[in-house]
Formats: sequence, structure tokens, C-alpha cells
Amino acid sequence: MSNNSSPVELGTKNIWPLLIQYAVPSVIAMTSTSLYNITGSIFIGKGVGALAIAGLAVTFPLMNLGAAFGSLVGVGASTLMSLRLGQKDYDSANSILGNVFVLNLIIGIAYTVAILLFMNPILHFFGASDASLPYARDYMVIISLGNIFTHMFLGLNALLRATGKPKISMLTTICSVIINIGLTALFIFVFKWGIKGAALATVISQILMLIWQIAIFSDKREFIHLKRDTFRLKKKIVETSLVIGLSPFLMNAAASLVVIFVNRQLAVNGGDMAIGAYGIINRFVMLFAMIVMGLNQGMQPIVGYNYGAGNIGRVKSAFGRTLLLAFCVLALGYIIGKAFPRQIAELFTNDEELIGLASSGLLIVLTFFPLISIQMVVSNLFQSIGKSGPAIFLSLTRQVLFLLPLMIILPNIYGVNGVWFSMRTADLLSFSVALTFLIIQFRKSKKYN
Amino acid sequence: MSTNIITIGREPGSGGRLIAARLSEKLGYKVYDKNLLNIASRESGLNREFFEKFDEKASFSIFGSWFGMQDNVTDDMYSGYYLSNETFFRIQSDVIRKIAEQESAIFLGRCADYVLNDHPGLMSVFVTAYLPDRIKRMSEYMDINENKAREWVARSDKKRRSYYNYFSNKEWGHASSYNLCINTSEFGIEKSAELIYQLAVDRFGLK
Repeated sequence: MSNNSSPVELGTKNIWPLLIQYAVPSVIAMTSTSLYNITGSIFIGKGVGALAIAGLAVTFPLMNLGAAFGSLVGVGASTLMSLRLGQKDYDSANSILGNVFVLNLIIGIAYTVAILLFMNPILHFFGASDASLPYARDYMVIISLGNIFTHMFLGLNALLRATGKPKISMLTTICSVIINIGLTALFIFVFKWGIKGAALATVISQILMLIWQIAIFSDKREFIHLKRDTFRLKKKIVETSLVIGLSPFLMNAAASLVVIFVNRQLAVNGGDMAIGAYGIINRFVMLFAMIVMGLNQGMQPIVGYNYGAGNIGRVKSAFGRTLLLAFCVLALGYIIGKAFPRQIAELFTNDEELIGLASSGLLIVLTFFPLISIQMVVSNLFQSIGKSGPAIFLSLTRQVLFLLPLMIILPNIYGVNGVWFSMRTADLLSFSVALTFLIIQFRKSKKYN
Repeated sequence: MSTNIITIGREPGSGGRLIAARLSEKLGYKVYDKNLLNIASRESGLNREFFEKFDEKASFSIFGSWFGMQDNVTDDMYSGYYLSNETFFRIQSDVIRKIAEQESAIFLGRCADYVLNDHPGLMSVFVTAYLPDRIKRMSEYMDINENKAREWVARSDKKRRSYYNYFSNKEWGHASSYNLCINTSEFGIEKSAELIYQLAVDRFGLK
């Protein structure tokens, strides 16, 4: 375990270089996956067709739910792992590795079996039509067969970070993205395998990286490696991991449920093309949101340490600079989206109806986009200073608490546009709440000084 | 320099603190308990109140864990959710190891037996007593009535157990977790301290 940075550095070094040092790796990791999602969708849209885009969009929540199950094991196990490694307790750490391996296998298989058994009803429930179902199905069958590998890949990646190999962990993520993009292009455009090709590319790229991870974890010279006698599940490890993983799991699951709801509303009010349009808009918006999440991660240790040390001035300065950067990133997304809505949609598809729906939707959804930076960074501020209540509340406002009721009401009045209106209204409301929280917190900290 | 360390885990109200004080008189070793928090605060630059809140009460931060789900790509302990119980435990453990390297000492609680697992001169003790005795001792010590003391003891038991079981790989109060377990209801504080002293003299080769 290398502790490259010292608390002293967090308390004294200039904020800008500090922020860059912490944020850059996070931003790279966050955007690489997002970039794959965009290119993957573009290849599918251009190479397979508009209905395939809709089919793909229907599977988003199912994929996210899979990731949620991954975090159920991964988060807790890696927390435990770094705790034990911090005490140089390599025996316990090895048991955790073995247990994670087995647990991921079990959950991965269970998830795959459940999805394969109920594939059609699930996809229909998630908003697939008879026309888009074959695409969603083709995609999901392969993805869920590969789900075991995805689970293992993500789980072991989290452990790579916990065992002091963050660079390799980042490398496997980036490599899997590059291989994925290359194979997707090959399978769709050269082999003409359609949407199945995209799914296959994803699974193959993860299997390749998984082999690499297993090779690393099988190296007996390493303190932490897979041993046969560590595979037997231990109550303490399983229990603690699952308990710790429960809240991130619930957060992820809640977000997925809302997306299901959005897709259903789109299906009822606008059909497949509306779902496809949401798929395109979501890909575009997420790219910028992910960059902000990366920035947020860079801010956390700086704000956390200085708040703990009572350097409120440095807390404010780190927060202010992160907010500035986040605002600029989202403003950039806003300008690009508002200036070239059609061109963005045309990247993904040649279908006129889909282009029209996606570009008009994008214009509405982006209305308050730069303001979301405040909701995101303020929520992160509360996380960093250990005030979990406001942090969780704020992070739920935009995508759950405000969005859900709006999504129930507005589409009934405005149809598909009602869905876009709901999103922009939720943005505005959550921005207002975050700003109020920030002002209250600011006043409080003034009183203490 | 090789140092001798006695760690004392204890059920609330079992008299573990009194035994530590007696051993400190006999051996001339300093007792570290709450004063660890001051040192940890000084070493890390973080305010003492954060360590107070965490001290022997917390296990993992339920809500804190949700931040773990965001991919953290840097490996050092200071990245991610900084003000977490895991960070405080790590800072405190570093302080315990540093002290144990420099001087012979007695540590009360705080998973010191686990933290110093590899220390060559370690003797780990767990002190227990029957529940009525523990309640009685706490109600006298804290000057509260028996019912309040009963509640307090039950609450502290729960906190210490979850603290120890989370931060160490062992089970709180299980005989297999320690070198020696002793019940002060059976042997009394004085005799227990004397026995531990004799064993320590023998183990550490003191005369």
C-alpha cells in the first residue's frame, strides 16, 4: 500500500494542483465508460437501425440493475479489503478475495437465470414494443449470458484498487473500452452481426480483461492472491459486505426503477422512437454528468480533510473551484447541445422521426443543464463533510424525488414533451433545493467562525 | 528496542480500566485509552471531536458506504470519503503502532490486540464480569440508577462488539481472540491484576 499523499499536503498544497491531481484519474475512469456507451450506441444506430436504438434504450435499466447487484458485493468487499490491508492482515484479505470471487459467481448466475427465464415479460414491462423487442432481446440474451463475467470483472476491478493497484485497475477499464469499441465496429460493420455483435463485443472485451485480472490475482508472489482454501464463504465476510453494500445497491436500484418508469411513459405516449430519443439524449447528457462526477471525486478528500482540520477557508476554496469547473463542463454541454441538436442526433441515426424527436427533446432537457452542477457539487460537499442525510436527500432529488411525481403527471397533459418537461422541472427544483441547503450551511459555518 | 505491550479488551463495567491502572503501577507502563484520541488528532491535524464521535462506538458508516460505489481510482487512504470511520481507525492504528514501537505500554480497547497482532512482545487480555456486577459498578461510577446503568451497559456492549468485529478479523469477547480471558466477578480486580502481572513478568522475562 503506498500512501502517496500525506494529510499535510491536503492541508497546505495549493488547491488547483491538488484538485487536478485527485480529479484527473477519476474523470478519465468516468468518461471512458461513457465514451464507450456513446460510440456503441452510434454504431448500433448507424449499423443496425433506429429500432435497435430503442431496443437498446429499453435495456439500460436492466444493465444498471446488474451493476447495482455488482456493487452489492463489490463496495462492501473492497471497503473490508482496504481495512484489512491497512492492518497488513493478508490472511483476512485473501479470504475476502476468495469470497468475493464466489459471491459474484453466485449472484451473477442467479441474475442471469432470472433474466433469461423472464426475458420477454421483463422487456415488455420495461417499455419494449413488439417491434423493438427482438433487438432488446438479442442484445440482452448475450449480455446476460456474459453477466457472470461482467460481475467478476467489476468486482475484481474494485479489489485491484483496494489492493493498491489503481493504475492497473484503470488500465483494465480503459483497455476494455478500447477493445469493446474496436470489436463492436468489426462485428457490426464488417461481420454484419447486428445488435448481437455489440453485445458480444462487450462480453468478449470483459472476458479478456477478466483473464488479465485473474492472472494478476493468481501470482503467488503477491501478498493477495487466489487460494483454493479461501473460496469457502465466511459468514462474517459475506454478512458485512452485503450490509455495507446495501445502501449503494438501493440507490442504484432506485435510479434504475425511475428509468424504467421513464421508458414506460415514453412507450405509452410516444412509442419506440420516443424511447430511442431518450436513449440518445441520455448518452449525450451522461457524458458531461460523468465528468462532473469525476471532478466531485477529486474534491472529496480535499474538502473532507480540511473540514476535519477546521480549515474552512480551504474547504470553501476547493468547493468553489470544483463548482466553477463543473459549471463550465455542463455549460459546454449546454452550448454544444443547444447549438447542434440535429447534428448530435444525426450522429446516432439516419431516421428522420428519431432525429426530430431526439433533437427537440434535447433542446428541452438541456434548459437548466448548467444549473445541475450546483445540485451535484453541493450534494458532494455534504458527502465530503460527512453529513450523509442532506447528501443522500440532495442526490435523490433530481432523479427520484422530484422526477417521479412529475413523470406521473406531466406526460398525461403534454405527451412525450411532458417527459422532457418533467426532467427540466426536476432539474430546476433540485437546483433550488440544493442552493437553499448551501445557503443554510454557509450561514451556519459563519455563525461558528 | 523491543517493547512489551499488554492490550486489555473489556466488557463495560468489568473493571478492565482498574486492572489497567493497577498494572500500570506495578509495571511502570503508561496506559493508553482515550488519550490516544489527542495524539491521533495532533498527528493527523484533524479535530479531536471527529475522533470522539468515532471512538469505540462506530462500525462502518452506513451512508458513507454509498460513496464507495463511485469508482475511486486512487489508492491512497486519503482519497474518497475522507471523514469516514475507516480513516479514523487507520489513523488511530498508526498511532498505536508508533507508540508500541517506542515504549512498553498498556492499551485499553480500540482493537489494539488486532492492530499489534505482529508485535513480538504482545500479551492480549480480555476482562469480563457477570452482568449484575457490571451494572452495579457502572451505576456507582457514573452515579446513575440501576435501570439507566443496565441500558447503558447493553448499549455499550453492542457498540463495542460491532466496533471490534468490524475493524478486526476476530470476534469480540471470544476466548480464541485473546491470550487470556478473566472474569473479575470470580477473582476480583486485585487478584486478576496480580495474576496478569505475574504472567506478564514471566512472558516478558522481567524480574
